Amino acid sequence: MATFFQTLVAQRADLLTALGQHLLLSLVSLLIALVIAIPLAIWVIPRPKIANFFLQIAGVLQTIPSLALLGMLIPLVGIGNVPAVISLVVYALLPIFQNTYTGLTEIDPSLEEAATAFGMTRWEKLRKVELPLAFPVILSGVRTAMVMIIGTATLAALIGAGGLGTFILLGINRNNNTMTLIGALASALLAIILSFGLRHIRHLRLKPVLITAAALLTIGGGFGVYRLVRPKPVAITIAGKLGSEPDVLINMYKELIEKDNPNVKVTLKPNFGQTSFLFNALKTDQITVYPEFTGTVLESLVKTTHQATGDPAATYQQAKKALQKKQLTYLPPMKYNNTYALVVRRDFANKYHLKKISDLDRISDQVNAGFDLEFLDRTDGYKGIQKRYGLNFKTQSMSADLRYEALRQGKVNVVDGYSTDSQIPQYDFVVLQDDQHLFPTYQGAPLLRTETAKAHPEIVHSLNRLKNKISAADMQRMNYQVNVKRQSAAKVAHRYLSEHHLLGGD
Amino acid sequence: MMAESTSIEFRQVGKRFGTQDAVKDLNLTIEAGELFVLVGASGSGKTTTLKMINRLEETTTGEIYYQNRPLTSIPLRELRLQMGYVLQQIALFPNMTVAQNIGLIPEMKKMPATKIKQRVTALLSEVGLDAQTYAQRLPSDLSGGEQQRVGIIRAFAAQPQVVLMDEPFSALDPISRAQLQKLTLKIHQRQKSTIVFVTHDMNEALQLGDRVGVMQAGKLVQVGSPDDIAQHPANHFVSQMFASTQTNDIYGVYLNRLKVLGYLEPMAAIDNKLPAFDNHQTIGEALPALQKEGAVQINNGAEPAGKLTNKQLLAFMVKFKKE
Repeated sequence: MATFFQTLVAQRADLLTALGQHLLLSLVSLLIALVIAIPLAIWVIPRPKIANFFLQIAGVLQTIPSLALLGMLIPLVGIGNVPAVISLVVYALLPIFQNTYTGLTEIDPSLEEAATAFGMTRWEKLRKVELPLAFPVILSGVRTAMVMIIGTATLAALIGAGGLGTFILLGINRNNNTMTLIGALASALLAIILSFGLRHIRHLRLKPVLITAAALLTIGGGFGVYRLVRPKPVAITIAGKLGSEPDVLINMYKELIEKDNPNVKVTLKPNFGQTSFLFNALKTDQITVYPEFTGTVLESLVKTTHQATGDPAATYQQAKKALQKKQLTYLPPMKYNNTYALVVRRDFANKYHLKKISDLDRISDQVNAGFDLEFLDRTDGYKGIQKRYGLNFKTQSMSADLRYEALRQGKVNVVDGYSTDSQIPQYDFVVLQDDQHLFPTYQGAPLLRTETAKAHPEIVHSLNRLKNKISAADMQRMNYQVNVKRQSAAKVAHRYLSEHHLLGGD
Repeated sequence: MMAESTSIEFRQVGKRFGTQDAVKDLNLTIEAGELFVLVGASGSGKTTTLKMINRLEETTTGEIYYQNRPLTSIPLRELRLQMGYVLQQIALFPNMTVAQNIGLIPEMKKMPATKIKQRVTALLSEVGLDAQTYAQRLPSDLSGGEQQRVGIIRAFAAQPQVVLMDEPFSALDPISRAQLQKLTLKIHQRQKSTIVFVTHDMNEALQLGDRVGVMQAGKLVQVGSPDDIAQHPANHFVSQMFASTQTNDIYGVYLNRLKVLGYLEPMAAIDNKLPAFDNHQTIGEALPALQKEGAVQINNGAEPAGKLTNKQLLAFMVKFKKE
């Protein structure tokens, strides 16, 4: 409980931003869905066949998993707010359309007959009789839609639209349950509060409600649409993948660039999503720079016959060359290599004088390793270890989040991990040196469009200050400070830059 | 336009639903200012006939004339704004207050708001509902009888030249029904609108109609004054309708019907010694006095209609007793 409030206080600014994004995203989507679904339902009332067709379509759209829908939209409209809003609108259509249609068709036919006999036009009937009578049913559809939107909007964080999902994803990524809990609670609370508010609209008179809705629609819709469609990189946008490490890096980029170039304004998009989202966003100029790993470039971003190898320089050169063909510039990498690592407890290392992976050969009958399933199966994982080092020992598969805990408790004595994991300094673990260069190189380096690099050599210059800086130990420590000590990424980044005199100009 | 010129004329009108003739070969003229009752069993075509007047149903053959113009030549909205409509289901709009329901058609006719308010207040008090208490209530707060009172004044509120009433009282209890029948006669007398009233209750038809048209299986089998029809039923069907409809509730039978059927002894002048009842009152109302005094006098307004004795009442009850 204490950690919960501690995190809440520490993250309150981020939480408010996320809440605001979430609310804006949800309301804009809801308004758009209202504007589409209600007139459509009114239009199809005298056309039951078309109504049925629409109900089927909306029902089918509803069954598409939200992640799949987001994924399908990316090639069409890119990433960010637009696909998020589109998919939320798609989900909100059915409940609103269905309830409006049901509400209007279930009006007592004798009331319809009376209204007709009194000489009312279609519009008069709608305004004076049908909509007021269907209002409670329509409203409950709107409530359903809204609760659904708020829940689904948490997924928007996956494609860079921000919102409370950022907290949830970050929490999962950092193995920080408190953050996940805060994100989930905030989203649930938001749904409850808005739903409660909507329920009480029912007791109000229809006219003021409609006027308020119309006003909100105009103001909110206009503002929202403006926010969503205005051109993104006003100055420079730097994005990072999920997690503390990219977050620290982009904060360094920002500080370096702004220090060197007071006229440049840098906007950060931390936790912007997964690799392919960021790469697409960079290509479509929605973001200006993001840090990418050399190994990842060769593995997933470019088609090449070269594989990432244990040779850092070769890996970088191959990645750089392949990216050049895509009009992208890959600046020189930092020092650390965030690759696979075999990790042991310090007492275990001391007892058997372990420094390198090949040292395990001496005690291979005493090794009890806990490996992630994927690592067990990879040719640059355990299979590579067996082949390259000629090692064979007892292994068991365990999920990534349990390995370090198992190691700490002594249930296993060797685990796989990543060389910059914050748990390494946290529990004082030791990383065994990959003396046979089995593991591929994953060095972080800034990636930007060649066009940008040519137009802004001063930015390239600032980014290059980190060339060959930041060791794996530095990165472990900084990850530890953010993930475990809950310090802000910006603070951690600044501390490193000033301690290493990188802010002093040339 | 003057009310005097209002009349509805059916010329060779037929209405078919699919292969079924709902109304066949209908020729009928309804005079301006008259209260014309269409009576018939369910499925006889009486409601269809009514709904063709405001074009809720269109004719299949023939033509209906309103004020000597074919209905189809009159713009629909203009036509319907001149015709009040009262439904069996009452159909007050549940989202509007009593006052808003009554003021709806005047408002559609662009009557100024202050005038509408005056009209609503006057109409409510005319039907015995205090405007202070009732104007701002919702229909759901009213009893069935109260709701239909509002339904009736809603139809009359804009002073239409024609009011169409489709079995307006058949879902109500006998007491409310009797009250509302009187009310209908009262409003008709004051407003002089043409009323076309549909019912399946012969008792009600005879009680209300200036003239009554009897429908059977889509055909108009007899048109005449209530006396004509009671005394000279055109066929077996018409006389049967009397027998079946009138004895359902002997206490609800109007004293007027005893007169029409010849059960009253003629009286030359009002006899002050006998308890007096109006001919719009029912047997049930006269029964206690009849038991005490042995005879009562029935008056039609200020005119004596006749004397009812225990013996005559027994004769009526034996004749029309329900099997």
